Amino acid sequence: MRTILLGPQRFTVRATAALRSLDTTGPVAVINAGWEEREDDITELDAALDHRMRGLRLYHRLTDVLRKDPEFGAAASRFRDRHDELTGLYRIRLDHAMNGVYAVQHQIPSHPARAHQSAAYRALHDAVAGVRAIDQWYVAELDRLYLELEVEGGVNTSEVIGWHRAEIRTLQNDCVAWVLPGGNIRTLMSVLRLFAVTIPPEVPVVGWSAGAMALTERIAIFHDYGPDGARETELFDTGLGRVRGLVAFPHARRRLRMDAPDRLGILAMRFAPAQCVLLDDGVILDIGPDGLIPDVARRVGGDGLIRSGEEALA
Amino acid sequence: MRRKLAINRLREQPELTHEVVSAFVDKYRSPIIEGQHATFLFRGHADEVFVRHRVVGLPDPLPMKQIPNTDLWAATSDLPAGSRVEYQLETRNGDHYERFNDPLNPLVAHSPMGSSSVCAGEGYHVPDWALHDPEARPGDLVEHQMRSKALRREQSMLIYTPARFNTVLRYPLLVVHDGPEYVQFAAMKTVLDNLIHRLDVAPMVVAFVPPHDRMREYPNFAPHARFMARELLPELESRYPLLDSASGRCIMGGSFGGVASVSTAYRYPGVFGSLLIQSASLVFTDIGQDHGGGPAFDPVVKFVNRYRAKPTRFTDRIYMSCGIYEPLITPNRSMVSVFREAGITVKYEETRDGHNWDNWRDRLRSGLSWLFPGPQKYVYE
Repeated sequence: MRTILLGPQRFTVRATAALRSLDTTGPVAVINAGWEEREDDITELDAALDHRMRGLRLYHRLTDVLRKDPEFGAAASRFRDRHDELTGLYRIRLDHAMNGVYAVQHQIPSHPARAHQSAAYRALHDAVAGVRAIDQWYVAELDRLYLELEVEGGVNTSEVIGWHRAEIRTLQNDCVAWVLPGGNIRTLMSVLRLFAVTIPPEVPVVGWSAGAMALTERIAIFHDYGPDGARETELFDTGLGRVRGLVAFPHARRRLRMDAPDRLGILAMRFAPAQCVLLDDGVILDIGPDGLIPDVARRVGGDGLIRSGEEALA
Repeated sequence: MRRKLAINRLREQPELTHEVVSAFVDKYRSPIIEGQHATFLFRGHADEVFVRHRVVGLPDPLPMKQIPNTDLWAATSDLPAGSRVEYQLETRNGDHYERFNDPLNPLVAHSPMGSSSVCAGEGYHVPDWALHDPEARPGDLVEHQMRSKALRREQSMLIYTPARFNTVLRYPLLVVHDGPEYVQFAAMKTVLDNLIHRLDVAPMVVAFVPPHDRMREYPNFAPHARFMARELLPELESRYPLLDSASGRCIMGGSFGGVASVSTAYRYPGVFGSLLIQSASLVFTDIGQDHGGGPAFDPVVKFVNRYRAKPTRFTDRIYMSCGIYEPLITPNRSMVSVFREAGITVKYEETRDGHNWDNWRDRLRSGLSWLFPGPQKYVYE
């Protein structure tokens, strides 16, 4: 199993080199549903992939299902409402819990020797465990919602969905590699689930930005520079789990407050033992069959500092 | 050592000839912004000249002084960084008063009441998202008309649908009081196009609804609220794919439109999950009835006093903004804690601005992105 995670491709294109490094010939299955209405604007992408692209057009298929299967459409609407409600509740709980974490963090003595012995340090770890429990609660509730959608929407019995699933299987059958570009992770994950997309383990995959996030076990969404200021990083969904022990943070320089080590340190603690890995422009992480994250990966440490190589693992 | 103001340096010139003054005015125009000070200029003959404004805390009228032996008048005022003030000049010749925009200042703001000159302090910029962006795909704005039983008349409105509007998706609904004014004077269509394009706010359907008799319909008028909640909403839900929950519905307005938003949501709790109110005229009294706002505010004061006596959670979230240079700043500040104590989540922002459309335009990004955040957090290209 070989997986290559890339940083954003807008300014520094590494996708072509990554695909060529796989040393394959033949069609490449591409899921760019995260582009939504622009899914068919593929001229540049196809060129970057040496004109080997075979688009699975999952966004187009999603809208087709919504049009033709009213039962699924209604269930999808209910799912969206319930997910919005769940997200709202999750944010309330998360914000309060994170405020508690930061308040406790400020109580830790600044002297390193005293810090680790302090009650505040132990309180911090307990507070972060509380945040993890909220994350787990959210994921469990989300799984329940997915199950409801599956049953109420007749996902496994719908003729329309079944037809698309079969066509996708045929399309991907002879593909020698897969590519998952960036885009809207919410849309990307919803189509991957709806069409039960499974990437054969033996087939190599290249993914960047949202595509890279989708390949991991847990997907965190974040944006410290949004119009509403810095908001807490949220757990969004479970991914395909092809890459383990890693939470991907694409566009980190543009989206994460890198000048706030206290916040970054909490982020690392929250997702430990998984590593918070930054995927900025130009990054190439080639993950082989052993599943080990390459040394070059830039990771957030528990102290909030960014490191790569052995230093990061110390 | 701090540099003297330009106007004081001019005063110290040995000979203030017509040419010297002209060169000065041509160089600086008006107002001259120097740090935390604004100097207003006027050239001409008059018995008196004033700067007229509505900034709470500054004298109005602000008299200008004539620079001796010239036709140049000047007045200097405090102007903290980030401030934005609308003003006019007024001359008196004998018993004749005349008010007009500052001829030396090209910056003008428009409103239904006419136009005013704009004094922009250091650090104030018109937000780029309020200006036309050729990259942003435009939404559609169409006229719509419906019969209102509650109001006993035809009600016209403008309906905005976002670019790439897709009937298989569902959208939040925003209902805007003084709707056409928000489009005309707060560039709201441009703002929506840009903020949706930039993923700052969710694509949404917006109903821009004008009043017929504003001073009657907006200050807590039952037929208006009935129209909004029981007629307009079902009409729009039947025509557009809208989210089917209170959290997907917002009602907004500025000034009296803010009161209309609050009173409508209050009369129909649970229908509108959020409010966006700007410089809302939520005037009240703590004792007696002397509110100082004139008869138009009587029903407002009655409504707000009643609400303050028994606050309820009639909506989930309110975005509130107010300019600190307007008289309504005190009631707005007071209402924040009242709403919060009732269990409503409130985001409140103050700006160094007044009771005007540019101020309300400038806060749209903050309000809309808080109430209906765009997919930015989900998009990793």
